[in-house]
Parts: sequence; C-alpha cells; structure tokens
Amino acid sequence: MLGEPLTPLDSARDKPMIAIHDLVKQYGAFTAVDGISLDVKPGEIHGFLGPNGAGKTTTLRMIAGLLKPTSGRVEVNGHDVATEPELAKASLGFIPDRPFIYEKLTAGEFLRFHAGLYGMDGNGLVAGRVHEMLDLFELRRWEDELVESFSHGMKQRLVMCAAFLHRPQAVAVDEPMVGLDPRGARLIKDVFRRMSGHGVAILMSTHTLEVAQEMCHRISIILKGKIIAQGTVDDVRRMAGGGDDHLTSVFLKLTGGSALQEIDEVV
Amino acid sequence: MRRAFPYLLLPHLWSSRNRARRREPGDLVRAALFGGVGLVVFAALFWGAFWLTWQLSDYDELGDYLLRLGLSWLFLTFLAFLTFSGIVTALSTFFLSEDLRLLLTAPVAARRLFYARFARTVAQSSWMVVVFLAPALMGVGVARCAPASFYLSAVMAIVPFAVIPVAIGTACTLLLVNVFPARRARDLLMLMGLLFAGSIVILLRVIRPEQLLGAESLPDVTGFFSTLQSPVTPLLPSFWAGELLFASLKGSWDVVHAGALWTTALAFSVALRAADERWHFSGYSRSQEAPKARFTRFRSLDVIAGMLPLSAVRRQLLVKDLKIFLRDVSQWSQLLLLLALVLIYLYNFRVLDLQRIPYMSGFIKNIYAFVNLGMAGFVMATVAVRFVFPAVSAEGAAFWIIRTSPISLRDFLWSKFWTGLVPILVLTESLTIAANELLGVDPFLKIVSACAIVFLSFALVGLATGLGARYPRFTAENPSQVAGSYGGVAFMIVAVMLIIVMIVLIGWPSTTYLIYQLRRMPLGPVREGMMAVSFLVAAVISVATWLIGMRSGVRALDAMSN
Repeated sequence: MLGEPLTPLDSARDKPMIAIHDLVKQYGAFTAVDGISLDVKPGEIHGFLGPNGAGKTTTLRMIAGLLKPTSGRVEVNGHDVATEPELAKASLGFIPDRPFIYEKLTAGEFLRFHAGLYGMDGNGLVAGRVHEMLDLFELRRWEDELVESFSHGMKQRLVMCAAFLHRPQAVAVDEPMVGLDPRGARLIKDVFRRMSGHGVAILMSTHTLEVAQEMCHRISIILKGKIIAQGTVDDVRRMAGGGDDHLTSVFLKLTGGSALQEIDEVV
Repeated sequence: MRRAFPYLLLPHLWSSRNRARRREPGDLVRAALFGGVGLVVFAALFWGAFWLTWQLSDYDELGDYLLRLGLSWLFLTFLAFLTFSGIVTALSTFFLSEDLRLLLTAPVAARRLFYARFARTVAQSSWMVVVFLAPALMGVGVARCAPASFYLSAVMAIVPFAVIPVAIGTACTLLLVNVFPARRARDLLMLMGLLFAGSIVILLRVIRPEQLLGAESLPDVTGFFSTLQSPVTPLLPSFWAGELLFASLKGSWDVVHAGALWTTALAFSVALRAADERWHFSGYSRSQEAPKARFTRFRSLDVIAGMLPLSAVRRQLLVKDLKIFLRDVSQWSQLLLLLALVLIYLYNFRVLDLQRIPYMSGFIKNIYAFVNLGMAGFVMATVAVRFVFPAVSAEGAAFWIIRTSPISLRDFLWSKFWTGLVPILVLTESLTIAANELLGVDPFLKIVSACAIVFLSFALVGLATGLGARYPRFTAENPSQVAGSYGGVAFMIVAVMLIIVMIVLIGWPSTTYLIYQLRRMPLGPVREGMMAVSFLVAAVISVATWLIGMRSGVRALDAMSN
C-alpha cells in the first residue's frame, strides 16, 4: 500500500533497539557531539534533525561503528558497539550519506558479497533474497551491470538493498532522500513504513522536514552537538511555543534560523 | 556461517575479472606496452644476473664469497625497501582505503579483517620485489646449473622474507596513526620517504663507489663489499634468505636459516594481529579527522601573483594550482626528492677525478655534454609526466567549475602550460648549465645545450599539457595514477623519441663544428648551411610539437561538451 498513513507506535514499553547514552565525540579541541542520549524502540521511526555541522553524521557513524566515541555508549539490540561490535553490527543496517560501493562489481555481485559479510549462506537463499531486494528497489534489470554505470539515485537504492538484505532489526540512515527522484523517494518512504510496521527501529537523519513530519513517530533536534528538543512533532512544536506552526518554522525557531531574514538585504 | 578471511579479498578479484572482461579503449595497447617493457626488463635482469654469476664462477672460492655477499646485499636492499613500502601501503589498506567504510559497518571480526588487509598489504608492498627477484634468481640458478630445490628454496625464502619487513612497516603505521591523524601521518610518511631516499644517497656517497672506476684490482672490490658488513648483519632476515639460497645453490638445505625466516614471519604476524586488534579501531577513528590545512594564511602567494602581468582569470588559476600543490606533501616531496637526485648527479662531477677516467678526458668529454642533454631531457620528461600531464585530471570532480565559468578552455589550458613551463625550464636549464660548467665543455656546446633546453622545455611541457587534456582521468585517486595511465605512457614514449631526435639533430652539427675547430679547418659554406638546417629542423620540430600538442589538448577539451 503506497502512501499508507503512519502506524501509531504501540511499543513504548519495549526495550530500545538503538540506545545512545551520554555520547561525546571530540576532534581535538572541537566537540562535535556533546553528551547526547536518545533511544529508538522497535517499530519506531525516529527523525534526527539539525542544521549542517550539528553532529548528525558523526552520531550515526558512531552508531555504525565507524567512529570511536570519546566517551559514552552506543547499544544496538542490547549489544554494546564497543565491546560486542559483531553482534551489534549484525542487527544493524547502515545507510551512509556517502556510501562506498565497489565500482567494478555488478549490482548482483555487490549484494552477494554483502550477504556473505553478514553471514548469510546458501546459494538459493541468498540469490532469492538478492532478487527480492532488487525487485523491491526496481533494480532487477540492472543486476548484471557494473555499479560504475549507475546514476546517483540508483546507487542510493542499491545501498538500501544491501542495508536491508540481512533483515536488520535496526536501521541507521543518513539523509536517505538526497539524490532520489520523487518516485524513488516515495518508494523509500513506503519501505521505511513497512519495516517500521514489522518492528524495525529506524533512526533517520534528514534535512527534509516534510519527510520528518510525515514519517517520524518522534524526532530529536540536534544543534552544536547537543540535543535541544526531543519528542513527537507535537511535543517539539509545544516546546518552541509554535502552536500549529509547520515543522520548518519550529525548526528555524529552535536552531536560530532567523538569520534567514537577512537574505533580502544580501540578495 | 562466518567465512574465512580470503572472502574479504573477493571484491578485488571480481573487480579485476570484470575489468579484464569489459575492455576499455586503449587497454590492449596499454597491455602490449607494459607487457613489452616488462619482458625487456625481465630479460635484462635475467641476463645481468646470469652474466655476473657466470663471471664470478671463474674465481672459485672468491667468486663464491662474492656471490654469497651479493645475495645477502641484494636482500638487505629489499629489506629496507619492503619496510618502507609496508609503512606506506598499510596506511592506505588499513586506514585510508574507501572500502573500510563498508567493511567496518559489517559484522566482520577484527581478526578476519586484519588477515585480509595484511595479505593485501604484503601483496601490494612486495610484488615489485618479487618481480625483480624472480628473473635475477633465475639468472643465478641457471648460471650455476642449480638443482630444482634452489627454485623451491627461493619461494620458501621470499615469502617469509616479504612478510617480516611488511609486518614491521605495518606496526610502525599502527603506531604513527595512533599518535597522529592518518592524513597527517601520510604527510609524515612522505617526508620519511624523502629522508629514507636521502640517506641511501648519502650512504652511497660515503662508501664512494667511484673508487671502483679505478678497477686496479679485484681485492678492492671485496674490500668494497666488506664495508657493507657489520656485526648485526647475521641477525637480519636478508642474511638468512641469502644463506638459505646460497646453500641450496650448492645442493644442500639450510634448515636453520629457513626455520629462522618462517618462525620470525609467523611470530611477527601474530604479534601484529594482537596489536591490530587492540589499536586499529582507535587509529581508524582518528584517521577520519581532517588535518589542519597549511598555508591558509599564506598571503604572499596572492601578492606575488598580483604583481605578474596576468589577467584576473589566469592569476586566480595560477594561485589555485600553486596553493593546492603546496598543501599536498605527496606532491612537492617528490619534487624535492628529484631535486636531491639532481644535486647528487651534479655533485658526482665535482668528486669524480675526470682526468683518471679514460672516457671523460680531452675532446671526448664534450660528447658527454649530449649525455647530459639527454639526462636533462629525461628529467624534464619525468617531471612533466608526473606534474604537468596530470594537471587537467587534477581538476577532478571540480572540473565543472571551469566548464561552467565564463572562461575559454583555451585560456584554462594555456594557464596550465605556463604554470608547468616556468619551474621545469628553470630546473633543467640550471641542471644543464651547472653540469656543463663542471664538466668544462666547449663554450659553443654550452650555448647550444642551453638553447636546446629552452626548445625542449616548450615542446615537452606543451605535449604533456595537451596529451593530459586529451587523455584525462578525472576519477583518479592521485596524480601518479594519471601519470601511469595510457596517455601518460604514450607521452613518455613520444617524449623519449623527441629527445633522441633532438640530440641527433643538434649533435651532428655540434660535433662537426668541434672536429673542424680541433683540426683548425674552415667549415665551408655548404657544411655551414647543412648545420644551420639541422639546427633549424630541431627548432621547427620542437615548436611544432609544442603547438600541435596544445592545439590537440584545447580541441579535446572543447569536444567534451559535445
């Protein structure tokens, strides 16, 4: 069902699938992430919003095990990423903002390799799952084409195929809509909704506030490495004292976007 | 089921297979070129090792002694090379490689990742050594009619011999990256490379190999080799490898040294794995931090560029190119290395007693001016292929800025030409003038060489700029990749041919002039005319190469928008 409405979250008592405790990341004297805590429960789509350079990507990279936190803890499916990295990563699907794909592999080869990395075995089983994902993301007819010939949007969809291939219980995704055409964006939204419906926890960083408003059960707004607002979209609206304001206005109020008023003077 | 570590190497194998299946234009030519050059080098190494071993067999015990020392010395040289190569390669394979972003997010055990990366590091660091050693050892084996066990011993020696220094190098990288961010560590490594190369050059100067030119007696040669020995030599894997091979050459098995090699390689690998499991992630995490940019407040460059009689567009292009060059240590450190080698080349003329060397005295030394010209031309071609040829490709993904700006691509390419020409002309002209001065060649030849360098600079820089625009590699990770591409190899071939043609065209009239001057005979109008034509043809060929190269480059750039 394309465009089906968001299912209300009914798993408030569940153990969080992604849990971040007092996470800090410092680059020399610069603090990119400053003691943030959040959790994403099974079936929840959690929007992670913030202006450029606020610390969203750094946080997601720490969740994925690509960056070592200066302090604090990240757990995925109850496993500490620092002490049980394999178990934590086995439960997670990560979609980075700048994904790496072997350019000289075909889409099918890339996905089969990816399946092997996650311990998926059995030729028939893997092939079936690969085809399922390629069909879902409308890439089946490109299965035997080299990745280097793919457009940005196709690569983005291929990375999503890879991230969902091993049926992760949690997904961390950085800017999923960038470079996708409206049809692709709609497809991704639908996939996320369905996964959420099946109990998958999704932490999604995005700049597209309409997407956050439309899809997320809860949102966290991060600014200069600190979470300044957290809750449902309505909660955050109330925090900003915005009544029925659109999320964009709320976001700009909270993150100091008033500088936009100066645009007229500059232009 | 968790698969063994070779599974992580599969994408590289599949990629190579796919690349081989889907040939790109020029692939066959490139393969034929590289294959041909490889075969020639292989044959030369085989023949050189064979000839030397054959000659040494005339000296019985002394020959054996020298062969044994030579093998040990050969491996000692590679030991240093492999260690340094291990440091540099490990930095890329363990910390900077793009695919780590994929592999580190997957549930891959640190141990599996380590073995896969280490195997790749050993292969990448040592393939050149293996390619060199294979024909050389085959030459030695054939000359001594060695049993088949010699070749088996060679394999048994080379594998652990490669593992040990690469493990040491990888450990150094692990330490470096945990102290400095990896991208800064890369800069440090480049400087270390310079020091390494510099120390080899200084070592060569200290042991003064020119003494051998006297060739008074063979004992001098043994004395020379003995200076390379020291009390620590028997503790080095190079010595063990040399001993193992020498023993098998004589038909016996040196179990002690074979054991020493294999157990050390194993112990180093295990220790390195433990260190990697402990410190790799923290090092990788640090490598994500961007280094602080250099010369961000370097205003004098803008001030100097502002004083040049250039249009605003050309001035900005020049400043941009220079700043990017200065901020990339891997770029200018190579230039410094080349400069150091050139200085050593010149220094040799100072320390050599030219009168003692038969070929360097009297009239003949004037001929050496042409060898010098060839050398300067080769330096020029090397610098041009490494720094000028990749100039257009270096724009990379940012080339759209140039293409969408209101400037002509002709202006853009000519800016690249002038930026490359000035330093190359100054470098090679200084080299030629200084070398000719130190050699004491005839004043006429000094002028001819100096003029030839000017023409050659225009021709080679123009050709490199033009071909660089014709065969760009915008997706290349570094300029060395661009220089080694099809276009780069094609440029080197044309450049070497041009240098030879120029030397012939300039050499004939110059030597004619010198011979007539020596014999105190007049040249005569016909001969003078022929000499002038020869010089003129050289000049015309240079100017034509320059202009045609540039024009072809501009056309290629224009055609990109079609």
